[in-house]
Amino acid sequence: MLALRSVIKRYGALTALDDISLDISPGEFFGLLGPNGAGKSTLMSLVAGLGAPDAGTLTLDGTPLSARNTETRRALGLVPQHLALYLALSAEDNLRIFGELYGLRGAALSQRIDEALDAVQLNDRRRDPVKTFSGGMQRRLNLAAALLHRPKLLLCDEPTVGVDPQSRNAIFEYLEALNRDGLTIIYSTHYMEEAARLCSRIGIIDHGRILALGPLDELLAQLPFEEEIRFPATPATTPLAASLAVHGEIFAADGTHRFRPRADYPLSAFFSLTESRALPPRLFTSQRPTLEALFLHLTGHTLRE
Amino acid sequence: MHPIFVLLRKDFALFFRDRAAVSLTFLVPFALIYLFGQVFGVNRKDSGPAGIAFAVVNQSADPAAARLVDALKAEKTFRVITQFVNPDQTTRPLAEPDLLPLMRANRFRFALVIPPDLLAGDRIGLHLKFLTDPLNDIETQMVTGILQKTIFSNVPQLIGRSWQARARQYLGSQNAHDLNHRMADVITSFYGGDRDEMVRRMESGDFGLSGLNGTKDSDTAPAANVFSRLVRIDTEQVAGQDVKSPQATRLVGGWAMQFLLFALSASAIALFYEKDQGLFRRILSAPVSRAHILWSKFLYGVCLGLIQLVVLFFAGRVLFGIDIAPHLGPLVVVCAFAAAACTAFGMLLAAVAPSAESARGLATFLILLMSAIGGAWFPVSFMPEFIQHLSKLTLVYWSMAGFTQVLWAHASPVELLPTLGILAAMTAAVLAIAAWRFNKGRIFE
Repeated sequence: MLALRSVIKRYGALTALDDISLDISPGEFFGLLGPNGAGKSTLMSLVAGLGAPDAGTLTLDGTPLSARNTETRRALGLVPQHLALYLALSAEDNLRIFGELYGLRGAALSQRIDEALDAVQLNDRRRDPVKTFSGGMQRRLNLAAALLHRPKLLLCDEPTVGVDPQSRNAIFEYLEALNRDGLTIIYSTHYMEEAARLCSRIGIIDHGRILALGPLDELLAQLPFEEEIRFPATPATTPLAASLAVHGEIFAADGTHRFRPRADYPLSAFFSLTESRALPPRLFTSQRPTLEALFLHLTGHTLRE
Repeated sequence: MHPIFVLLRKDFALFFRDRAAVSLTFLVPFALIYLFGQVFGVNRKDSGPAGIAFAVVNQSADPAAARLVDALKAEKTFRVITQFVNPDQTTRPLAEPDLLPLMRANRFRFALVIPPDLLAGDRIGLHLKFLTDPLNDIETQMVTGILQKTIFSNVPQLIGRSWQARARQYLGSQNAHDLNHRMADVITSFYGGDRDEMVRRMESGDFGLSGLNGTKDSDTAPAANVFSRLVRIDTEQVAGQDVKSPQATRLVGGWAMQFLLFALSASAIALFYEKDQGLFRRILSAPVSRAHILWSKFLYGVCLGLIQLVVLFFAGRVLFGIDIAPHLGPLVVVCAFAAAACTAFGMLLAAVAPSAESARGLATFLILLMSAIGGAWFPVSFMPEFIQHLSKLTLVYWSMAGFTQVLWAHASPVELLPTLGILAAMTAAVLAIAAWRFNKGRIFE
């Protein structure tokens, strides 16, 4: 459906996208995971036709996407990172404006507005100015505005920034329902739990390059360990940490030791060591590999850095 | 440190990080004061008006009339026009029938006709015809005064010759000649001097009247009283005779333009709000181009400006009796062109400024400057000549010209075309630069 080939985008000396190639299939819920400044919004902008790449091509169903080709944008819906709404106008007026920009008119537009407001549970506030809405309500309307014209591909650029948990959940459920109905979605986020929950395939992006690409399970399988054992970094545990270094990877972060044992190192051996040092079992927690661990493994830094 | 001082230091830190605010605070006042000083002629030795277009039609064969024309040409206040330029760029002497059309076209607002009977034998004194378009009251009074001064101080012998001609008509040439001789005899017998030289000077019309033109003000005043009775100037107002509220009609254009510029600049600066809200990203992700956005903004500005101007002129009608009803059609057309030019200006500001704050500062600076040099505050002709040239580059100047052509001179649509053409050209040029800057800039990213 969407194909990016060797896409490069520079802003002066900064290379925001560095030789990106990517294919998105119809009906896919694709997650673009990376920290702030990784290139997620730049990639979204190029797909949305808001800019032109310095090199490479972008096509949607074989048609080149470009800033000049406005017609291909009818197939796209963008949920921008900012609340791109006219706050002084009502919810209905906002939707009418954005619907008309896509060529919707008359009864068809009114029907789409009703459906969209129902879907994001804002029908009872349709005539209220958007500035009187809570942050979560504004985010939901932001999403509805991108769906009025029933796009084939929805681009969600960090659509839950600053949203309360209740509204976030409502947005997730709505997106999941849309995807089940066949809508292709590209979802950029720096929240790993969002990508893990929503996306059938994830691309991890940093410094303008896609570092890993695939379903969540496949990505996690790239990690050289299956489990991570954590325990407090205290004088009592320091000798244990030193002795574990030969059995896997161990490092301290935020006052916690993280031990990633080699695949051939049995957990029984680990607990024998702790018992011999009289360290109580409650100090130790075990975690399955996460996207955060994968990101750390791939980049050497955390998503928040 | 006390919280007040911590917060105070924070405000100064923020201020000095805002380069636009710093430059507006420290550099712009210097530039503004220098330019306003130039406009108002501060510290200039020749601070009076200069280069006022002044047409002269000389129909007299008398050499003294030519001297009068030369004297007017030497007066720095005037830019004397004596030639008519044909469409093929050839020239011919200006004729009286040329004057009214050219005055209606605002090529000049003052004209002097020196008739063939400059020194008619049937009366004492000079006969001149002065045409005025008193679009600006102060300017008209100034021009009239300087014209009288030029006539009185440069060609007093014309009046003596007028006396001689009258004497010859009534007494006959020989008797008039004898009278001159006897007067010379009497004068030389009492005061001495060369009798033959005195006769020669009297017959050439030189009665020593130039001595009445003292250099002190106290000397000039009685001279003016004497001459004003001897110089007959038939003044004809060629425009604005039937304007019901002349003072308000003269001023309304300047008020309107300042109001419009501030309003439409603020409207254009609102582009930054839409950028900051991410609205342009959303709009441009729809089948919408940047050109669509810019054209919609331009048309919005024109409509808003047009409505504001019409309401403003209506207020002028209600409050000051400005007569707009008979000229509503042409007035609306000029308003539309002025609104278009002001909108383009506002969009250029938004295109070149890096932020809304700096755009607002730049707008204040440029609007005040354009209003001053464009003639919204006082006549352009009172400014130095280089400022007068600059004023013609401002949309304030041409918009005001359009308003006064309609409300003062009741210009026809065809007569308005040159002014409208210039406004349209300015709008197109400014809009093109703005569009180029918008595309180069980051407001749509």
